[in-house]
Amino acid sequence: MSELRRDPVGGRWVIVDTDHPSKPEDFEHEPHGWRGGVCPFCYGNESLTPTEIDSFRDPNTAPNTSGWQVRVVPNKFPALQIEGDLDRRGIGIYDMSNGIGAHEILVETPYHHKDLSDLLNEEVEKILTMCCRRSADLVKDKRFKYIMIFKNFGPAAGASLEHPHTQIIALPLIPKNPMEEIKGAQNYFEYRERCVFCDIIRQELQEKKRIIFENKHFLSFCPSVSRFPFEIWIMPKKHQSYFYNMPPDEIPGLAVILKDTVTRVKKVFANPAYNFMVHSSPANTDTVLESYHWHIEFMPKLTRVAGFEWGTGFYIVPTPPELAATYLRA
Amino acid sequence: MPELRKDPIIGRWVIIATERAKRPDQFGGQAEEGPAEKPCPFCEGKESETPKEIYSIRPKNTPKNGPGWELRVVSSVAPLLMVEGDLDRQGQGLYDLMNGVGAHEVVIETNQHIGNMADLSDEQISKVITCYIDRIVDLEKDQRLKYVLVFKNHGWIAGGGRIKHSRSQLIATPVNPKRVKEELAGAHQYFQYHERCIFCDLIKQELESKDRLILEIDGFLAITPFATRFPFEVWILPKKHSCDFTALDPSMRLDLGRVIKKVLMKLKKGLNDPPYNYILHTAPFRRAKEGYWKTIDQDYHWHIEIMPRLTRVAGFEWGTGFYICPLTPEAAAKFLREVEV
Repeated sequence: MSELRRDPVGGRWVIVDTDHPSKPEDFEHEPHGWRGGVCPFCYGNESLTPTEIDSFRDPNTAPNTSGWQVRVVPNKFPALQIEGDLDRRGIGIYDMSNGIGAHEILVETPYHHKDLSDLLNEEVEKILTMCCRRSADLVKDKRFKYIMIFKNFGPAAGASLEHPHTQIIALPLIPKNPMEEIKGAQNYFEYRERCVFCDIIRQELQEKKRIIFENKHFLSFCPSVSRFPFEIWIMPKKHQSYFYNMPPDEIPGLAVILKDTVTRVKKVFANPAYNFMVHSSPANTDTVLESYHWHIEFMPKLTRVAGFEWGTGFYIVPTPPELAATYLRA
Repeated sequence: MPELRKDPIIGRWVIIATERAKRPDQFGGQAEEGPAEKPCPFCEGKESETPKEIYSIRPKNTPKNGPGWELRVVSSVAPLLMVEGDLDRQGQGLYDLMNGVGAHEVVIETNQHIGNMADLSDEQISKVITCYIDRIVDLEKDQRLKYVLVFKNHGWIAGGGRIKHSRSQLIATPVNPKRVKEELAGAHQYFQYHERCIFCDLIKQELESKDRLILEIDGFLAITPFATRFPFEVWILPKKHSCDFTALDPSMRLDLGRVIKKVLMKLKKGLNDPPYNYILHTAPFRRAKEGYWKTIDQDYHWHIEIMPRLTRVAGFEWGTGFYICPLTPEAAAKFLREVEV
């Protein structure tokens, strides 16, 4: 008999196949079919991207030339545009506004073929430091209510360019999924005066069934109510509401656990596509700092979301997170 | 300038990304080949390779689980939810859980090895519709169940697997799913304020503006939604208000079959047989519960959502629930209107 589980934060039910759990070898592997061609993110091709916003680079090198370690540029095909007003309006029963926002690309490394797991710890630290620095800069713009940091790796995960990059999108409103999480966490806090994520960490550390790795400041585990097989969450152990305000001395620990996560997933699956995203508190709004706890959600792209998930918002998890954690710990 | 548009029913925002827009005819022809096809257990003569028949449309003189049928329903080989057992709700610390009680059935839409529903006849599709209705009505008798989702995954990318025989699935759940609840709540809220059905208002506006109208035949219309999540997403709605798909008059079933076929043919022809999902959203089982469902007959409106899978859902969409659509629904509707079928 499979199990239905309810996510304590958002209230979402998922179906966990505890009866015939899928093992790693049961997932059909989709090879990365890259198109090749000239890469705008490699050294020497800096002129192919829009003008650099920020970078870590060798002293005595000029912006928009080689010599950088991490480079941030505007997306050449932005989903949102930075200039202009929101101009909210209605057309009959429909509401709309202009697509104001920012859409930046953080090129993680000059090396075209190096994924996070191939980088040195210090290199991953630079990526994370830059994510914080860009977020802190973007929230100075009071029009922005939410900063979304995410990575698509591999075509199956929606990446259109092969060179490893992270994306940063600043939005003029709090999107639906984070809003549900924030509201769920607020409800929990109002009743218990505790952070639901802190409670999750406590229960996970007690049960130990789903823990993958921990260091001084961070914990990685397969959430009890995963939406995807081998989904992994990385959380700061101590309550923190904003990713980008994280104490700088904790960044090395986060770099280690993020790199560890990618390395472990790659040990279980040969070169999988994956997504991860940072969930943080909204910006420029009155938020309840006590109730929300930032975290990273990491999902290898192993299954295809199909009609049932679209129609119901109900997810089917073929590998119980307890089992996924044992594979990832090995 | 990209646009942000809000779905009037559930309040979901989407980005219509005009900066990265492609022309409608640039979307087709990308269909990716999945792994090799598997031998088909769903063709006539292979009845012993499926679980036992739950329902069928077949002449009286043909035996169950034997050939001669026009349409069959069997339980899924790998059912996610099962009819036997108790829910046994319980808590484990923070987490709530229960047993996976429910039903998971496969509707084999034809005895021929036809891959796309678009290639079935209007009459055959109307039989599929009758089958959906009969199965939902039967599952409603099980008091533990609250909702039945009817859906279809066509093509490898859309989760259709390696067997290319046209079929749909039914999953009955012991809880009302999140997406369905959101829609019901949104429609209810609108009704409380306006005392009108939001879907009826939407239909009126779409028929007046015609910007997003693909076709209007008999009692149905097909549109691209204003806050479309995917390029070429299509909704089919009955013009006459009804919250319950199972109440569809038998005389209307052939008309609906014709509309579904026309829309699927347009997608197939215009976009080079793209993978797609469709889902049927109808009212949940209205079990007696105080203060609930008092106006559902008036405020909810069943419909079908068809989602061609031409773009990949990626980190941004998963993280935010915000969709980026690289094509305006107006351009998609115009393109589909002009595909001759």
